[in-house]
Amino acid sequence: MTNESENWQLLQDLFHLAEATPRADRERVLTARCADERLRRRALDILEAAGEEDADQPPAPTPLLTGKIGPYTLLLHIGTGGIGSVYLVERMVGGSPQRAALKMLAPHSAGPQFIERFHREQHILGSLDHPNITRMLDAGLSDTGQPYLVMEYVDGVHLDAYCNERKLGIDERLQLFLRVCDAVAYAHRNLVVHLDLKPSNILVTADGTVKLLDFGTSKLIQPDSMFTTTVMATPAYASPEQLRNEAVTTSCDIYALGAILFELLAGARPGSSASVAILIERALREQEPDRMADAVTGPAAEQRSTTVPRLRQLLTGDLATIAQKCLSPRPKDRYPSLDSLTEDIRRYISGRPVLARPQTAFYRMGKFVRRHRLAVAASLLAALALGSSLGYAEWRQRQALREAQRAIRMQTFMVRLFKLANSENTGKPAATVPEFLELGVRRLPEYITDPADLRAAQISLAESMFQNGDIESAQKVFMQTIVSAKAAGDIEAQAESEAYGGHIAYMQGNSDLGASLTDDALRLSRKPGISPSVRVWSAIYYAWNRENMGFRSDENVRLLEYAVQESRDQKLPDRDTAAALDNLGADLELRGRLDEAERAFSEALAVYQRDPLALCDRSNDYGELAYISEMRGNPAASLQLYQQSYDGYKACSGAESRGALTELLYTCSALMKLGRAKEALPLLEGSMPAWRRIIGENPDLSDPLFFLSRAYVQTGRFADAEKTAKELVAVQEGKVAPSDRRFGASHMMWAEALAGQHRYQEALPHAEIAERLLANAISPGAKQMTAEAHQTLVEIETKLR
Amino acid sequence: MPEPGEITVLLRDWSAGDPAATSHLFELVYPHLRKIAGALFRGERPENLLQPTSVVNELFLKLVRQRSLRFEDREHFYSLSARLMRRVLVDHARSEGRQKRDAGIPVPLHPDLAWIDARPAEMMDLDRVLDELDELDPRKCRMVELRFFLGFTAEETAELLSTSKATVDRELRFVRGWLGDRLRSAEA
Repeated sequence: MTNESENWQLLQDLFHLAEATPRADRERVLTARCADERLRRRALDILEAAGEEDADQPPAPTPLLTGKIGPYTLLLHIGTGGIGSVYLVERMVGGSPQRAALKMLAPHSAGPQFIERFHREQHILGSLDHPNITRMLDAGLSDTGQPYLVMEYVDGVHLDAYCNERKLGIDERLQLFLRVCDAVAYAHRNLVVHLDLKPSNILVTADGTVKLLDFGTSKLIQPDSMFTTTVMATPAYASPEQLRNEAVTTSCDIYALGAILFELLAGARPGSSASVAILIERALREQEPDRMADAVTGPAAEQRSTTVPRLRQLLTGDLATIAQKCLSPRPKDRYPSLDSLTEDIRRYISGRPVLARPQTAFYRMGKFVRRHRLAVAASLLAALALGSSLGYAEWRQRQALREAQRAIRMQTFMVRLFKLANSENTGKPAATVPEFLELGVRRLPEYITDPADLRAAQISLAESMFQNGDIESAQKVFMQTIVSAKAAGDIEAQAESEAYGGHIAYMQGNSDLGASLTDDALRLSRKPGISPSVRVWSAIYYAWNRENMGFRSDENVRLLEYAVQESRDQKLPDRDTAAALDNLGADLELRGRLDEAERAFSEALAVYQRDPLALCDRSNDYGELAYISEMRGNPAASLQLYQQSYDGYKACSGAESRGALTELLYTCSALMKLGRAKEALPLLEGSMPAWRRIIGENPDLSDPLFFLSRAYVQTGRFADAEKTAKELVAVQEGKVAPSDRRFGASHMMWAEALAGQHRYQEALPHAEIAERLLANAISPGAKQMTAEAHQTLVEIETKLR
Repeated sequence: MPEPGEITVLLRDWSAGDPAATSHLFELVYPHLRKIAGALFRGERPENLLQPTSVVNELFLKLVRQRSLRFEDREHFYSLSARLMRRVLVDHARSEGRQKRDAGIPVPLHPDLAWIDARPAEMMDLDRVLDELDELDPRKCRMVELRFFLGFTAEETAELLSTSKATVDRELRFVRGWLGDRLRSAEA
């Protein structure tokens, strides 16, 4: 051995030579290379030792536990995962056996406060009630002091194995992935992050049900404080910030879902098989993720029932963008929420362009705005109604004045206020609702000294201002109550103010502020002790904002369904139920679910018909029902309903109100569909000055200008149509996204106007833009536009041929 | 823990060939890692699979926390890290006390960092034989440390040492055989 260094190179050469030679020839070949018998022997010994290694014993078998752990009888060892061994266990509950999965944890994985932490977390984890999330049932320490967790037992296989065994294609995999995302989104809404999402934590049962494991485990497992690494995530799926040991947020789960998506689609993990050391280096360097298409292999393609080139192609476009966005090294570059991720995937599946950016359907613009115009008109009658006939009981209920005492103080205030408003004290009596409300806000502090009462009263008055259409004044009050509620820890008042404030912020054009406020309101409203009314309105305004910002997720529909159900169950005032129904109807309508939408609007209408003051709301529902008839291709029925709606708005809020003008527009649209453009044109021309007065030169003028140009086209006045189309584009230019469908609609009118003048060459580019921008549609109204744009392009191309 | 800046300076000195820097570095980083390893080992059961990688993770975070350490000198950095890992584990084994040695023990090297399952005696023997290897062929010793103590893949090891994966695989086959042979003769 002493001369090993002398013969070191030769020894290696002999080893490799022997390795490459069949056993029978080794002696001969090695002898030819080296005369030293001792050295040849060494080389062969080393080869033998190396061979032993290659045989690679399986890792030492886990000494399995048997018998009982606490009240649980161990039945079967299911597996060994990252944080411990899992057993199928049984426990007798009321005389019958109940099965569960029990996970033994390494002693150091839990730390001393394990049980305490479990009980603290249990009320949160216990509230996670979702069909795709396994429930955490129990936790304890074994006789030997080893911590364990007990959870719902799921008989299933890991997500990746499930997909590969069935050779599921990309779309089927995306569908499963969406279910995973929905479950995680649900947990996020309940303030629970997972932090260790990976395919082996996601089971799929034989009937295809997805089940997520280990939710909340990350919170329970906090090892000894010595570890600065807060999360024991699986490195391959851990976000860079987790690897960097920085603060963890829901964005970590979005990253992990991106990694899961990557693997599900491409068949390899992002960062492929990099070691932990290199993964950490990449995290520290904020290195961009790998490209999915590069990771594709033959076997992966086969497991996805496709070919390598096809799979590469699939994974280069939008799907690559989606995965890339999830896997961005910086959280701020990722999807801001799971909803935006799932929305993009749904868009991909349904063939729509993937873009998580605000986009309003051209046709529906006016509709959202008028949705919430309530019947409280600017008249003294309404002011009286507010104080008396609208009802003290309703006031109390609506404004969530929970305590009777507070309610009595409020009543006293209202009575005083009426006296004030009508007396000489103020110099002149308050003649209008806005004046009355202003006065109320100003004088409130004199009558209500308790800060919480004052806040509740301010919110009530602000809501009345808002419903009366004075959104600026209302917003001022809400912004104040948000601040004071936050400072006082008054969650209910904060949630309520944020819900309304967020809604108004969006209407004022500040959609980011709006979204953040309604997001927060929804979050707060889920806390215990919040009144049903605040819960319902937080859900409604959250869904409303998300919907209008272009995040048309199923979550919105579900939230609104919840709002309808909850307001019925909790016996909230009928109007709350009806408002929820209206919102639900509008969302269903946009998704083309016309029958369900019609039902929702009809139910809302029935509520409003019982209320003589709800004229505007009734008109709104007539308008919606008209629109549904129009979408079903029944312009005659729709015309009648639109007229009914228009008449109603005219009576409740005036001929030049936005509601009335909008319904007039749609009445004209129905007329044109019936071939009565000649009747529509003067109505449209006549309403333009009013439109310009109430809106000004901004994209909201798109609706009237669009229908006006269409009326010109249909009456053969192509030069006027061209002029109008030009103005249409001008009001949109720079104010709406270049890919906005509204641009498409404008260019379509422009093309039709030019084609009418036989200027086909000029018309062509406009038709092309229109065709492209209007190509993908989901709501029935938008689909009609798609068809029309296509038709226009084809006709122009035919003429040019 | 020492300041990351201090470590950076030492690393620079070390890569510039200052032998004293190595021991300084060890002194600076080592005690903390040792404690972490201790915490990991306290489990001492197979459930203990909880992250052999935690040690690696900690090491990196400690060394590169503020990103003040540039990765320009990756080779030195990783070589040092791998050596540190080895030291941590061996010292842990030593402190566990000498246990009776079983016969016919395979080399406790496993690409999945399963060294954590190795018994103390195995680990100490391995350490001794690795020292021999370091004298004979420092490059091969580094290869072993990177691959089996730091958990580098064969590709990553090859890249760091500016060679090919085939070469790494080939050399490691020899080294594993050689180590196994040396351990066996130590048994005898």
